[in-house]
Amino acid sequence: MNQYVCRYCRQPSDPNSPTCPLCGAPVDIRSVVSDSGWIEQPPVRDMAKIQFGQSHCQIEGTTVPVADFTLAQQEMVYFSHHVLLWTDPATRLGTMSMRGGWKRVMAGMPLIMLEAHGPGHLALSDNHAGEVIALPLQHGQQMWVREHRFLCATGNIRYDWDQTHIWYVTGTGDDQETHYPMGQYGDIFTAADRPGLLLLHSPGNTFIRDLQPGQSLLVQPSSLLYRDVSVRVHLHLEYPRNLGFAFWHPRWSYRNIWVRLTGPGRVAVQSVYTPPEDTEIIQNSSYATHHRW
Amino acid sequence: MTCGAPLDVRDKVSDSGWREAPRLRDMTEFRFSASTCQVEGELVPVAEISLSPQDGVYFEHHVLLWKDETVPLSSLKTQGGMKRTIGGMPHIVTVANGPGRVAFSRDAPGELVVLPLHPGMELDVREHAFLLASHSIQYSFVRIKGLANVLHGGSGMFMDRFVTAQYPGLLLLHGNGNVLERTLRPGEKILVEPGGFLYKDSTVQMNAVQMPLKTGFMGHHNMYLAEMSGPGRVGIQSMYVHHHSSE
Repeated sequence: MNQYVCRYCRQPSDPNSPTCPLCGAPVDIRSVVSDSGWIEQPPVRDMAKIQFGQSHCQIEGTTVPVADFTLAQQEMVYFSHHVLLWTDPATRLGTMSMRGGWKRVMAGMPLIMLEAHGPGHLALSDNHAGEVIALPLQHGQQMWVREHRFLCATGNIRYDWDQTHIWYVTGTGDDQETHYPMGQYGDIFTAADRPGLLLLHSPGNTFIRDLQPGQSLLVQPSSLLYRDVSVRVHLHLEYPRNLGFAFWHPRWSYRNIWVRLTGPGRVAVQSVYTPPEDTEIIQNSSYATHHRW
Repeated sequence: MTCGAPLDVRDKVSDSGWREAPRLRDMTEFRFSASTCQVEGELVPVAEISLSPQDGVYFEHHVLLWKDETVPLSSLKTQGGMKRTIGGMPHIVTVANGPGRVAFSRDAPGELVVLPLHPGMELDVREHAFLLASHSIQYSFVRIKGLANVLHGGSGMFMDRFVTAQYPGLLLLHGNGNVLERTLRPGEKILVEPGGFLYKDSTVQMNAVQMPLKTGFMGHHNMYLAEMSGPGRVGIQSMYVHHHSSE
């Protein structure tokens, strides 16, 4: 018998449920795929439930969705303290400190995560119009997530972080500045010893794609939401042919800054992003490919 | 008086007891007094009011989107002008009188919360969340009591208070993101991110409570949440300015 696999979270799921019990994606809709191959992640339906362990999470609202947790005894989720919307007094809150505190502070990352232990209720929400993305992780599965997109994870998912190694330097002497178009650090989540649930908040809409081995594409650095750790990333600098008025100013350099994603693996982008704005000449960078039109 | 909520959808209540504010359908129209309100758009909704000659609405002047040229504007006399200015509240509340059309919106994705108030109701609203109120509703403001509430409560120094005496009225709020409401039983408590608080019945007590947690570098940040104690309704919004931490 063929087992139904959710096309969004890629986990064996229940085809008779209106929404996938593991990721909340609607089951009874057809896949929306653009001509170029991007699969639109359907928003989790209002009041859909996502099961994990003995606990569950209910997604409320569609503009800035709230993840409302009903935590069972001995189950735990962790999250950055600024996404806590409400909690009932019975839920036990504690802190989960992390290594590399000074670096995290310097990079603008949360220094301390909060833990919420069941039994009890609590709810989390981010501060952007967008979607909650649920990623159930199987035993041993790893996922790279862009910084500040993490909403929460179950206690059995290990949290780590590493440099993105995507950077470039503009200016000279005292005016030298290092830019991190994809953020200085990225979050890495691993389902260490058993499956777990990872929730992200994606501003705008979300699109996913499976890259074949060696297949590559260019995306805005800040639009990358998550990727399998098997997907390789590096800078790509593209210089348009028409220089325009930049010709008159030796410090201006019109170029597009991309990251090139190379398969195999799954990647997801969000439709809200911040393009790099500066136009100063790039003096140095992490490994990058170039193209001059 | 109606609120424009769709009647052909089921009530959306989460397992934890929060009820979603009914999302008004685009171009929904409903009546109050002898006037009508039409809601336009769903992402950043606009409330378009068609005022009858005997009706009026009041609002903070910066939420006015457009109006008929013939609609007269005046200012509502508010007490405690200096206090309001210090508290960051609008010094002048503007009144538009009928007949004519006038439209309002706030500049954030969210929902319009339509609250028809029956005679004898009192509702407290976080500052800068109210979009408009009909002229039959009395407007005042209350100082948030307790230094901890003011410093750490995240709702500012004052809340708007809307009171109906003999006549019903219509109050429209703009909630950022999604809006959820819960009715607390007497003595029931819930801890809410202060920035997420949107409105409450005046019977609900609000106090800032310090959580036994430290956040931030070297543990220098205390974490405060707003403890809401029933009985009464509490409304929250899912998008907010974060107010948890303070030095």
